[in-house]
Parts: sequence; structure tokens; C-alpha cells
Amino acid sequence: MTDKHKKSKKEIIITGFGGQGIIMAGRILGRSAALGDRKESVFTQSYGPESRGGACNAQVVISEEPIRYPYVRHPDILICMSQTGYEKFIMQMTNETILLIDQDLVHLTLNKCDSFSIPATRMAEELGRKMMANIIMLGFCTTITKVVSIDAALDSVADSVPKGTEETNIRAFKKGFDYGLAILKGRDRKAVGKTGAV
Amino acid sequence: MLCNWGPHTAFQILQDKGAEIPPEVKMIRIPCTGRISKSLLFKAFEMGADGVALIGCEPGACRYGSGTAAARENTQDMREILGLLGLGKERLRLATFLPDDSELLLQFLKNFCRDIQSLGKSPLALGKATKPEAASKELLSDIISSHDVYACQDCGKCSSTCPLALSGKDFSPRALASSIIAGDLDSSYVNEDVWACLTCGLCYDRCPSGINFPEFIRDARRFFKKAGVDGREAHGGFFQSLMRAMSSPKIKTERWTWLPDNIKLDHESKVLFFGGCAPFFDVFFRHHLSVQTSDIIVDSLRLLNFFDIKPALLKDERCCGHDLLWSGDQENFLRLAKFNVDLIHSLGIKEVVTSCPECYRTLKHDYTNYGLELKFKVTHIYDFLEKEIDKGAVSFKKIDKKLTFQDPCRLSRLEQKADLPRMLIKRLKGDRFQEMPDSKAAAICCGNSAWTGCDSFSKALQVKRLRQAHGTGSDLLVTACPKCQIHLKCAMEDPFLGDELSMEMMDLTSLIAKTICWE
Ligand code: SF4
Ligand code: SF4
Ligand code: SF4
Repeated sequence: MTDKHKKSKKEIIITGFGGQGIIMAGRILGRSAALGDRKESVFTQSYGPESRGGACNAQVVISEEPIRYPYVRHPDILICMSQTGYEKFIMQMTNETILLIDQDLVHLTLNKCDSFSIPATRMAEELGRKMMANIIMLGFCTTITKVVSIDAALDSVADSVPKGTEETNIRAFKKGFDYGLAILKGRDRKAVGKTGAV
Repeated sequence: MLCNWGPHTAFQILQDKGAEIPPEVKMIRIPCTGRISKSLLFKAFEMGADGVALIGCEPGACRYGSGTAAARENTQDMREILGLLGLGKERLRLATFLPDDSELLLQFLKNFCRDIQSLGKSPLALGKATKPEAASKELLSDIISSHDVYACQDCGKCSSTCPLALSGKDFSPRALASSIIAGDLDSSYVNEDVWACLTCGLCYDRCPSGINFPEFIRDARRFFKKAGVDGREAHGGFFQSLMRAMSSPKIKTERWTWLPDNIKLDHESKVLFFGGCAPFFDVFFRHHLSVQTSDIIVDSLRLLNFFDIKPALLKDERCCGHDLLWSGDQENFLRLAKFNVDLIHSLGIKEVVTSCPECYRTLKHDYTNYGLELKFKVTHIYDFLEKEIDKGAVSFKKIDKKLTFQDPCRLSRLEQKADLPRMLIKRLKGDRFQEMPDSKAAAICCGNSAWTGCDSFSKALQVKRLRQAHGTGSDLLVTACPKCQIHLKCAMEDPFLGDELSMEMMDLTSLIAKTICWE
């Protein structure tokens, strides 16, 4: 592992379009780190016309030490839930960025870094509410990147979503989380060349 | 057991000479070794023999031509079954002698007795001779009222759905129930039909009074068994004998010896895989149906491994008791149940997974229904698989076959889980999936249950079912119970219909195991 991975500071960008709950996802992530994991975190959001359907993004910095600069230049973690969002940040990715995408919404054009995909929106639809794709993505991000602890994330999901929807949102989070576990397991199996059961 | 012809002459010479035949030898004269079926061989053990020697003529000297060859197959299979059962292969031997081989015969008998002595007594408890006791009428009236059979409205809906009746058999659940209520217990009609019912549960589904006919029949069989009525057991009662044998306290089965090495097990695991009796079936039917139902066990274990579960196994697992319970032997069923539950508890198991619908139903419901308290939950492997696959990141390789599905009655009807296998089938990548005309809760039985009452009408029913399967235009019949495979395969062997019925079959578990992969 390089120094960059060892360093305690993690910079995260979440992008998508308005209405996907991108900003909320950023806020939940920040809260998990600060309130649950007792770390420092800073959350900024880019608004504007975007909140009515255009591109938007949330930026979160999480660190063990006080954070002096709130914006993200080169994300350690980039979560993309729209093609425009992905293209906008392509140049800011490094080869050490971990890229998480909604596989039905983002088509990768560059193989620059390690990427993980999940059909988050489709899964949310199957759960009955497309709106929850962001929460599924958060669950996925929690397993893959371990940037926040699962307990912290679960608590802040429950605190942040509208009253009465806690249970379904927790279910959504767990779906994403389990999917992440399955993806990691699949990678391990591939690494040892055993993907089937027989 | 000594063949009438060659070896018996040799034996008589020994007797005439006053030779020292070991006193423990109990000679039974038989017409030909080839006529001693597996069930007869096993009966000898059930009746208390410590060792059995089947002694016949040399292959060329058999009066009937093929006797010795048949005896060879039967003993070979039986030896393997004795091995799985933990009795030891060595307790059964086949030998051949010419009429003037008397000295060789004597030597053989001495050696055999010496070997058996060194093995010790057989661990099989002496099967109590089932003396027909005066089965009490109270028992029967209890059975009738506990299932509320009196509530029958005589509507006949059951008889009009019963697959046996529809296959042309002069059989009517309604009439059977009324005859039993009326106390017409000795009529040959009742004595025969009580064993014919498939306990498939189709009629229960339709009955407006909600009479659980299969369970009523199950319990009524207990009464008739006690009354000494012949249970019309298939295969000479071999399977009932086998399962009774497993209820002997001292028996320690060795049923896992054949498992492939690359299956990952963990004896400390709190998840246990319960295999069922498929390994015994495969040996028994090896020369006839050549089914491979133990593949289902191996593939289940592979799937558990695939999802990182290394289960424990019960080293000396016994039969779950399903077939004894459903063929009227509640006493031995309960013994099996207690042994299994105690053993599972002694390992501190939290969850038992099984792929056999009968084991599932029996462990999950019948053990508790009969008063055993379970400290573990019982999961069907399909429930486990559906949950794991639903988490995502796995996919399936293409299957170049058109699929159709045979519902197992225990899972689809008695446990009302007909949708579960279908959810899994829909995930597979077959060419297409086509239901048969009668499917899910309305599906037609594979033709037999609990190894009783198999007859030409069972065959007619199976033929109808297999024609339905062909009628879907499919070329792979997916099954979900080892017994469905066995009974349907049996029907496919029909010499009069030739290849018309034959169709490839594969268990759903195996189909999943063969095609699943991580994305
Ligand atoms: S359980 Fe099945 S075989 Fe028995 S009477 Fe009912 S429908 Fe007929
Ligand atoms: S369906 Fe039920 S009520 Fe009707 S005849 Fe059969 S057992 Fe009686
Ligand atoms: S269908 Fe065949 S295998 Fe099944 S019980 Fe009848 S004879 Fe035996």
C-alpha cells in the first residue's frame, strides 16, 4: 500500500443529478464519520440549477486530524450516479482513486483506476422506491471502501431519512452492503481462479 | 442360505459324514441364489443374523442360467449398503461350490464363522416380530376424530382430483374415508387402498371441510399396521427394513465415506448439513435405474462452500424417518427422530440445512409435531440460495436446454413453497422455462411416496406426468427431490413405451451448482 492509502485523510466526491439524493448521501457520510466514528469531517455541496435535475455533487473530507481545506482536488473515492457527473470528474481521478458507479447509469470510458459497479437504481426500484438508490450506494461504499463504520453509517441513515421510512432505508442500505460483500468475495474467487461452484 | 442344487449336495455330504459344521451356522435351503433379492438378504440381518453367506453354484453350473450373476450383483450392492449402514461389508459373503466340493465348503464355513466372530455381534437390534396385536378400535376412532374426518360432506371433490383415481384406479378417498368411519376394516378394498394413497395432498387442497386426508391416511396406516395388515411395501419392504435398521441404538452409519475430498467441512461449525438417504438409494438402484441422487448432496455442499459456508455433517446421521412415519411405523420413526435430534443438539448446532424436501418437512414440522423440542432452525437449501443469490454479484452460465419442473409434493404442497424453486429457476439462463399443465400446488405426483402401494396405476399416473413434461416441448426435466428422480426414471424404463417417455432429468440444486459463478 502506498502512503496515500495509509494516510488518515479520505476525500470523497459523490456526483449525480438532482433528485437522486446525492447531497443527502454526502451529508449522511459526513455525519457518520463525525458523529459515529468520532472523526473530523467536512461536507460541501455544489448547488445551483443542478438541484432541479442537472448535474450536482457533494464533497466530503474525513480525517483523524483537523481539516484545513474543505474542497476535494483529487478524490480518494469517487461515487458516480450519472454519466455527466462521471465525465466532469474524470480528470480529477488518480490511478489510486476508488471509483464506485451505478452500472446502469454510468458507462466507463477510461480505465484509470480500480472501479466497482452496482445496479443501485435498479435494486431500489425492486425494493419499491427508486429514491433509495443513494442509500443503497452508501451501503455499497461502506463495504467496499470501509471509509466509515457500518454502525455509524446505519445510525446516521436512520437519523437522516424522513420519519417513518427508517426501516425501508435500512433495508436498502443492507442491500447495498451485502452486494458489496458479494462483489469482494467474487473478486477473491477470481483471484484464485475459482469462480464456479463445481 | 444355501442353493438347493450344487452346494446343498455338498452340505449333505458333510452332514452324512458327521463333519464338524460350526454350530452357529443356520442353514436355509433356497431354490437359487439369484432369487434372493436385496430385501431378502437384508431381512436375514433384520431377523438377527450376525453374518450371511449366500452359497450357490458356480456361474456355469447354475440350473437357471443367470442365477449366479444376479446373486453377484445383489450381494455386491448389499455389501455396499451394509458398509454405508455401518454394519460392515464383511458380514455378507457370496460363495459358489460344486456338489463334490464338500471339504472346501466346510473350510469356507469355518473361516466365515471365525471372521464373523472377530467382528462381534451385529449392531442391529433384533427386530421385534410384528405380532398383530388386537389393534384397538379406540386408536382408530381417535385418529378419525383428531382429523375430523366426520366433517366429510360426501361432496366427492377429493375423488375428482385424486391423481390415482384419474389414472383409472378404482380408488376414491371419499369412499375410503367413509368405509373406515363405518368400521368396514376387514374388507380387502380398505386393506389395499389405505396403502395406495400417495399422500400427495392434492385432495386436501380441494376439500371444503379442510380434512387433511394425507395425514389421516398416515395415521390410519398405523392402525392397520398394528392390526397386521400387509403394508404393500415396494421392493419387498427393503427400504422400510433399512430405515428400521437405522433406528437400532448401536448402529453407527458410515454414510459419508464416499464424499469427494475437495468438499470443505468444519466439524466445529454451528451450521449442519443433513444429507438424507440418497447414497443408499443410488446403490440399491444401481443396476436398474442407475440414478445418481447423491449428486444432489455433493452439489448442495459445493453451493454452501461457494457461499463460504463450511458446514458440519452428522457423522452417523440416521434416516430422518419420513418413510417410516408415512408407512405406519410411528414407533420407529420416533426413535430415529430422537437419535437425530439428540445428536444434533450434542453438537450445539444452530441451523440445519437440507436439500431433501422430505427431510425438510420431517425435521421442520413432524419432529415438533410429535413432541420433540428443537434448539435449531431448519432451512431448505433453496431458501438459503435465494437469499444469498439475491445479494447480487453472482450470475449463471447459459444452459442450452428448455426447462420444465416437477414439483415435489412435500415442498410445493405440504410446505406451500411452490414459488421458491421457481424464483431460482427464473434466475437460471435456460433457453426457456415452461410449466406443465398441472403445476405448483396442483402438480401431479411422481408416482409413489414412502415406498408403499406401487402398482400399475402408479405407472399410468407417471406416464401421464411424463407425457405432460414432453408436451411442454422441453428437453430437461428439473426435479427437486431425489425420489421424484427415482420414481420417474423407473417409469421411463417402461419396456412397452420404449424411448417415448425418456427425458433428461437434473435436480435444481445440481443445475444451480453447475452454472453459478461469481461475476
Ligand atoms: S393424498 Fe393424493 S393420492 Fe391420496 S387420496 Fe388424496 S389426492 Fe389421492
Ligand atoms: S373433498 Fe373433503 S368433504 Fe368432500 S368428499 Fe372428500 S373428504 Fe369429504
Ligand atoms: S415407481 Fe419404481 S422405483 Fe418407485 S416405488 Fe414404484 S417400482 Fe419402486
